[in-house]
Amino acid sequence: MSLRRRLLLTLGLSFCVLWALAAAWLYSDLRDQMRQTLDQRLAASARMVSGLVAQLPEGAWTQAGQPMLSIPQITGVACQISSPRGQVLLRTHGDFAGKLDAPAPGFTDRVIDGQRWRLFTYVQNGLHITTADRLAERAALQRNVVVVAVVPFVVALLGSLVMLWWGISRGLRPLERLRDELSRRDPKTLTPIEITDAPAELLPAISTLNRLLVLTGDALAREQRFTNDAAHELRTPLTAIKTHVQLASRVPADQAHEAMTHAAEGIARLQRTLEQLLTLARVEATQADPGTTPTGTTSIVDTALADLIDRKRVTVDHGSDSVAVDVPRELAAAALRNLLENALQHTPGEEPITLEVEAGGREAIFTVSDRGDWPAGQSTRRLTQRFWRHARSQRRGQGSGLGLAITASITERFAGTLDFTAQDGGGLVARLSLPRANHASR
Amino acid sequence: MHVLLIEDDELVGSGIRTGLQVAGFTVDWFATAADGRLALANLDSDIVVLDLGLPDADGLTLLRDWRAQGLTVPVLVLTARDAIADRIAGLRTGADDYLLKPFDLDELTARVQALLRRAAGRARPLIEHGPVRIDLGSRQVWRDEREVELTRREFDLLQKLLNARGGIVDIEQFKDSLYGLDAEVESNAVNVHIYHLRRKLGGGLIRTVRGLGYRLGDPGDIDNGGGPA
Repeated sequence: MSLRRRLLLTLGLSFCVLWALAAAWLYSDLRDQMRQTLDQRLAASARMVSGLVAQLPEGAWTQAGQPMLSIPQITGVACQISSPRGQVLLRTHGDFAGKLDAPAPGFTDRVIDGQRWRLFTYVQNGLHITTADRLAERAALQRNVVVVAVVPFVVALLGSLVMLWWGISRGLRPLERLRDELSRRDPKTLTPIEITDAPAELLPAISTLNRLLVLTGDALAREQRFTNDAAHELRTPLTAIKTHVQLASRVPADQAHEAMTHAAEGIARLQRTLEQLLTLARVEATQADPGTTPTGTTSIVDTALADLIDRKRVTVDHGSDSVAVDVPRELAAAALRNLLENALQHTPGEEPITLEVEAGGREAIFTVSDRGDWPAGQSTRRLTQRFWRHARSQRRGQGSGLGLAITASITERFAGTLDFTAQDGGGLVARLSLPRANHASR
Repeated sequence: MHVLLIEDDELVGSGIRTGLQVAGFTVDWFATAADGRLALANLDSDIVVLDLGLPDADGLTLLRDWRAQGLTVPVLVLTARDAIADRIAGLRTGADDYLLKPFDLDELTARVQALLRRAAGRARPLIEHGPVRIDLGSRQVWRDEREVELTRREFDLLQKLLNARGGIVDIEQFKDSLYGLDAEVESNAVNVHIYHLRRKLGGGLIRTVRGLGYRLGDPGDIDNGGGPA
């Protein structure tokens, strides 16, 4: 059910019920008041007649022959005066013989000739004075009062329903504009939504939506860039392979051999890039699960060094006993190996690099230092960017540009930290810290 | 013909260079945008093969600068980025053709030849100039329906003259086109090739414009000796 319909229904129904209750209350009150007032008037007229009768001379009742006095017909009201002995002295309606004889003083309802009457009997000096009121008149009066009171009520109720409908429609207009704006949008556009004079209640929703759009846009752009970069990184070695394989068949034998060597280099590069891409995809799919896979730092260093081609150039300094970190061994070793490979690749000749392992209070810290070709003072910001390579490496086709990105991804996933510092006089210090197992799980 | 190759990847660059050399082109290869810029400022290249992903600058920036300077040399762009937007950007910037990596070496050669041909204002690779017929695709030359053997340099020199469409080509342009930057060239090497061409195809084929260089002789005058025009 739409918000508009729900509001209209809830408010409209409550309006109708409340107004109906108020009307019923008013009506019953009014009816009681009217009956009371009319009764009082009936009683007052009886007393008035009694006052008039008291002023008549003593013998007025016993005038010759005709004791009955009948007033020409008046409808709706009647009066009868009878003596203490029950003899009727005066009666307004001649045909009401015996019908107004009152049993007791006070109010009585009675049916006379098929019509309901209300009677009041007043006794003074032995005279019974009875006044009567036809109820049909009272009912007609009551109906008139009801009509006079209820019509404005109903008009006001209908008016408020119309106002309600108008107010709700107007109030919901910003929502409708938002809906129109959203339905008109191309699903691919990620520009922020703009609604003129949006109410305060809608602003948080719109700003959240806009924030989400920006985040989605960023994520999409990142994905797109990554896909483009990956395509570039895969196509380049493929181009080298294809070109040199084709060359091999159209140059003399000695050059053909060289071409095939180049093609093989391209294949090795392609393979490296593919493996790194797969590693990255695996790391990104891994869920960090603290406390389940503690690995000793010594074991991590051994694993990392085992697959390293140039491991003799790495000087390892275990600053403390092995401590357990909360990262699966293969991933921790991959993170460390990438740092070592990077350092070796950028350190010319047989120059050694150093790896220090220390245990901190809450984390284990691996520090890889080299005296390589990283210029002193150059920003290290782009080092972990995917597919970024130093211009020299790019020219030589070294590295996939993913190694440090993988290390950064692993570090991030397992709540570690990774930072690089350019050394004074050239070279780089990479500092990888991973959370210790028994600390992280607490 | 001289090809200026700007490609940062060593393996890819060496492959393209050798491939184009095998197809008969003179190739100079540079790996950065800065070197490429410098090379084109000093060399009279017939065509540029430009990779877009250069380490020091985007290849498109380089291309934009050249076009802004009014350089009309045909440019074949190589790229590993296949998004439509990238291709459109490349062509809009002034690239004459676009080749996606990995490409076929034969396709690269064919496209380079086609670009050269179009730059010279010809729709077909076959040229007839009086009694001389030249096939730029297969690099064959006929004189009076008899095939004439030309060396690579001789053919390049002839093509350069044909592409100039009657305009004057000076010795430096010949040297760039034939040898590029690599070789130390004897000062009279070009004259030797011109001498051989005149001997093989007819003295009037190449006219000497004294003090300026050479131009192609009129189709009707090919047998009328090698004197000045």
